[in-house]
Amino acid sequence: MTTGPTDQHAADPDERRSGTSTVRYVAGKVGGALVSLVFVVALGFFLFRMIPGDPLVTMTRERPTGPEQLAHLRERLGLDQPVWQQFLDYVGGLLQGDFGTSYMYRRPVGAMIAERVWPTLLLVGTATALAVVLGLWLGVRAAWRRGGLFDRTQTGITLALWSMPQFWLGLLLLIATQGVFPSRGMTSVDPPNGFVMQALDVGWHLTLPCLTLLLVIYAQYMLVMRSSLLEEMGADYLRTARAKGLRDDLVRRRHAVPNALLPTMTLIFLQFGMVVSGTVTVEAVFSWPGLGLLTYEALRGPDLPVLQGVFVILAGSVIVMNLVADLLYRVVDPRVRAS
Amino acid sequence: MTPLLELQDLGVTYRTGEGDLQAVRGVDLTLQPGETLGIAGESGSGKSTVVAGVLRLLPKSATVTGRVLLDGEDVAAMRWGRLRAARWSEASVVFQGAMHALNPVQRVGRQIAEPLRLHTGASATEIDTRVRELLEQVDLPPAKARAYPHELSGGQKQRVMIAMALACDPRLVIADEPTTALDVIVQAQVLDLLGRLVAERGIGLVFITHDLSVLASACSRIAVMYQGRIVETGDAKDVITAPHHEHTRALAAAFPEVGDPASRYAPATSEPLPPEGERDPQQPVLLSARNLRVHFRDRTGTAVAAVDGVDLDVQRDEIVALVGQSGSGKTTLARTLLGLQQPTSGEVHHDGRPVPASASGLRDYRRHVQLVLQDPSSALNPRHTVYESVAEGPRIHRLGGNERDIVVAALEAAELRPAERYLTRLPHELSGGQRQRVVIAGALALNPSVLVADEPVASLDASVRGEILGLLLRLRRQLGLAALVITHDLGLAWNIADRVAVMFRGELVEVGPVEQVLLEPHHEYTKKLLAALPSPGPDDARYAG
Repeated sequence: MTTGPTDQHAADPDERRSGTSTVRYVAGKVGGALVSLVFVVALGFFLFRMIPGDPLVTMTRERPTGPEQLAHLRERLGLDQPVWQQFLDYVGGLLQGDFGTSYMYRRPVGAMIAERVWPTLLLVGTATALAVVLGLWLGVRAAWRRGGLFDRTQTGITLALWSMPQFWLGLLLLIATQGVFPSRGMTSVDPPNGFVMQALDVGWHLTLPCLTLLLVIYAQYMLVMRSSLLEEMGADYLRTARAKGLRDDLVRRRHAVPNALLPTMTLIFLQFGMVVSGTVTVEAVFSWPGLGLLTYEALRGPDLPVLQGVFVILAGSVIVMNLVADLLYRVVDPRVRAS
Repeated sequence: MTPLLELQDLGVTYRTGEGDLQAVRGVDLTLQPGETLGIAGESGSGKSTVVAGVLRLLPKSATVTGRVLLDGEDVAAMRWGRLRAARWSEASVVFQGAMHALNPVQRVGRQIAEPLRLHTGASATEIDTRVRELLEQVDLPPAKARAYPHELSGGQKQRVMIAMALACDPRLVIADEPTTALDVIVQAQVLDLLGRLVAERGIGLVFITHDLSVLASACSRIAVMYQGRIVETGDAKDVITAPHHEHTRALAAAFPEVGDPASRYAPATSEPLPPEGERDPQQPVLLSARNLRVHFRDRTGTAVAAVDGVDLDVQRDEIVALVGQSGSGKTTLARTLLGLQQPTSGEVHHDGRPVPASASGLRDYRRHVQLVLQDPSSALNPRHTVYESVAEGPRIHRLGGNERDIVVAALEAAELRPAERYLTRLPHELSGGQRQRVVIAGALALNPSVLVADEPVASLDASVRGEILGLLLRLRRQLGLAALVITHDLGLAWNIADRVAVMFRGELVEVGPVEQVLLEPHHEYTKKLLAALPSPGPDDARYAG
């Protein structure tokens, strides 16, 4: 009995949509994203307080420290305050763009994240872009000839790659390429001169980590595109398109794929945020100087301000990407606009 | 003259997992230009396979025997390029279910223009002009070209499909159930439009439907299909008035003529109806609405009255039919009666007491007033067995007693006998009619006093329709179960209802006994509804006055 509003709609189908619904929709989605962000900040703060290990012990490991000095250090880091007070200070700082100061490096966390975020974006952006193109292309081909040789082999290979641990695949690639590609870092120890040469140098270093990430993540795009297109393939409007006399590839390109892309699009954006946080292992294997490696290093402290900062940025990127997907969906799918 | 379409001994066999399925056998048909041929049959009769066969749109698993001649040319012998050129420019199709046959993310103008771009060398401006022309031809404002399918009503989508079919001036148009799911008034408009096109342009039209009364008014010749064969063919009038084959008679009986005394209180059911017992005219009122109003705000913020001051009573041992076009507010009224929608003002009473507003009160109320939906395939959870589906209600309402006994009794009451055979079945293993019986059994399991049924037979085949209506009538006669049946089908009201309430733009414009309202209508709208019913021919005087 969901036809109530439809009845009404049918009563006045000529009426034009007003702009207020768009504003309300966007405001609602942005509001929802903000609430999630607040939740993430709180969760990040308290979650890392539960990690075992006293940061002061790690910080003073190699120096003999007296109880007075320890108390002084505790006070300077604000660790002597009650937890809720620490939290309020933290949130107050965040609102002013201050992520706190790293325990281990004695540097502002914001600056550390800012310099580490670009390598990660370069790695994740390149890998995701390639994975989306590869995954969607393979998915469309596999679905269109469902059950064929291409479909069966591709689906098999994809599933095998998807199930591999990233660090293991990374190590495997390192061994297989036998040192053709550099195994660590983003640039050579002695970087060449000139922008073009430097870009090539970075690209050279990027190859293996990017390939590792690509091989693992393209699977989901392929599988979702495949099942999404399979669902559309029985659709009546495709029969209409065939009856019109369209060639098979036009039926696919003009009618089937645009419809099948809609559910895939949400996944692409959602996954982009997830991939950023999934780079910890790849960056650790290849010593790629990004957020993942920073997290890996900070966990040893535990360097709470750094962990919190990275956590907020990573979780925030998932939320923001999800918001972008929601808003974009409204632009792309006319049916969402109406509802 | 070469016939436009000639089917010679056409046979289609599908290879399936369980062996071969002969969908179409030995079908011979011819269609001359300017002629309308009706093909009647239920789902599974093979009529849609015939349509697909004409344009070679059958899936790979189908084997075709016999010949399809399109304007004298054998379709099977066409090369791919020739076939693609012939598709739509020589023969086009108005597919069943315009809702799904249009691409949901493309503007309809672009979809109408697509075959033009494909088959003609016309420039962009010429195509634009042509699209406007086509839309005007089907009585749609040209501005609708910019609409997406979901922004159009069912009738408008159907017209878009027709405009699309006419785009390349084909000589043959095949219309597959073009009016199913449309209400009578829109149906009459679409039929009128198709008739006009045949007359004005001399195209050949193949009209496929399960509703014989529609064919009677639209076609000169009718062929009746049953289990893949043509069982009867002839002049439209002869087939309708003097059907030879048993199946034709069953189809004809399924859509009763309003005013025909033979079909009053007599749905086409195979099981005998219990005789009408002594009926006390002073039955208690079970469900009543007083000055009920439901207002919605549309997207611009203007209030729209979906239900506008309705007074309605449903008594014990009575079936009330609520009729009206889509958009008249009948579904909203039903939702409000069930407590699924808060009224803006006015009251709903059950058994003399106002319907409670609290969640627990409403739950208790819904035990007594149960809902039966239009489409049993989507109303049932596909992963729940029949037992689970029927037992869910008693569980929610914590009915005492043996659950299995309750379920078996409900299935028996819904005439699924022996009930044990159905308990472990899943919905997809059942036929459409059996599924609807399971839905009804789920309602009966709670021992309700009123059933509210929203188009209970609209998505069922013609032969099943009579069975389900017969069940509702038997339940009333045997148990005194009251029912409010929402429908756009006046024949249904004539078949089983005691009283009719006609709804128009949120108001009940006429309420009264069936004979009175349907035979001597007072309100203009009721008269219009009755006039829109397909009649066997213009020279038929039965509806005059």
